[in-house]
Amino acid sequence: MSIEHHPDDSMLAAFAAGTLDHGQHIAIATHLVSCPQCRAFMHAMEHVGGAVLSRLSPAPMSSNALKQAEARLNETPLLAAIPAAATVSGTEVSALPEFVRRYRFGRWTWIAPSVHIRPILLTQTSDTRVFLLKSGPGTKMLQHSHTGIEMTCVLTGAFSHDGGHYGPGDFDLGDETVDHQPVVDAGLECICLVAMQGELCLNGLIGRLMQPFVRL
Amino acid sequence: MSTENEAAAARAQWGRLIRSIATHQDRSAFAALFQHFAPRIKTFMQRSGSSEARAEELAQETMLVVWRKALLFDPASATAAAWVFTIARNLRIDDYRRGHRGGGVVEITDIAIEFQVDESPQPDARLASSQTEARVQTALAALSDEQKRVVELSFFEEKAHAEIATILEIPLGTVKSRLRLAMGRLRNLLGELS
Repeated sequence: MSIEHHPDDSMLAAFAAGTLDHGQHIAIATHLVSCPQCRAFMHAMEHVGGAVLSRLSPAPMSSNALKQAEARLNETPLLAAIPAAATVSGTEVSALPEFVRRYRFGRWTWIAPSVHIRPILLTQTSDTRVFLLKSGPGTKMLQHSHTGIEMTCVLTGAFSHDGGHYGPGDFDLGDETVDHQPVVDAGLECICLVAMQGELCLNGLIGRLMQPFVRL
Repeated sequence: MSTENEAAAARAQWGRLIRSIATHQDRSAFAALFQHFAPRIKTFMQRSGSSEARAEELAQETMLVVWRKALLFDPASATAAAWVFTIARNLRIDDYRRGHRGGGVVEITDIAIEFQVDESPQPDARLASSQTEARVQTALAALSDEQKRVVELSFFEEKAHAEIATILEIPLGTVKSRLRLAMGRLRNLLGELS
């Protein structure tokens, strides 16, 4: 499995910096799970974070700050391991990061012929909606554009559009300037994780007729 | 070269102090780490938009998590500064999501889980932390001051980008394109990491 399409460096940096919004964080994490190269760069950026932190000029702490912290050490036992989190929730998709599999998922919902979506229910508010998008083999997706940034990471199957061919682990970024019509490879169902800001604009006659019914 | 070695030795020292907490709950090691890192974490939090009082609390909480998680510190995968940075970062995210709820107990909710992306079937072939650290230091030293500043910027919120755009009197788009350029240069300087 070779991954051809990666998030750009500034997105990986923003991931390491912890400044991405929750939904976009999930999309980048999904790519990272299957991409050792981007993981290595992201971890290097965490080291840059350490260097940035070390270079910041120190802000004076209140005079008793250390005393206060020390007073709390007795009630702060050392952890032997990060506590195991709650049960893994119900999704059959294994290419997702483990922490994402713990979220609650909505139901699969039909949105167009051979196209279903399944929302991931974030407990925190996010400007970005996150969902799984499942398209049947050979499906021509509706031609669409976006009002915000859309991040897509392929979990299984593959699709193509003007930008190239996207297989498992590949990452695709769409924004206001992109208006494309992805086509799913023949023979294989394609499931992607999508993190979408703003609204999806369906173009073309059928798209415009369907728009009122597609509440992503 | 010798100053570089001294700097590297100083960086290694912080790691030993964390190990010392892990092995025998060394309070003097905690105090030394606190004196060094807490004031810098406070600056980090203030630059991320926290009030002075909240930044101080978050610096305290970060240091308590350093204590609490000392056994989990793995010098092979992260240097001390990088590890402390990730703890501060995670608390900042947690604080942001809670909408600046008042201070209180240190909870391990734990945002750290959302950064665990190494559990894939392929073994992770990344470099040892000491090698990554050495490359990062060399790469940062090779950046121009302006690029360094821009890279530093990427560790803070969008708001900080907008502020810098105002201060430098350049459009936000220019800040973003400079960020991409600086990041590309950094990527080249870092070379193959895995």
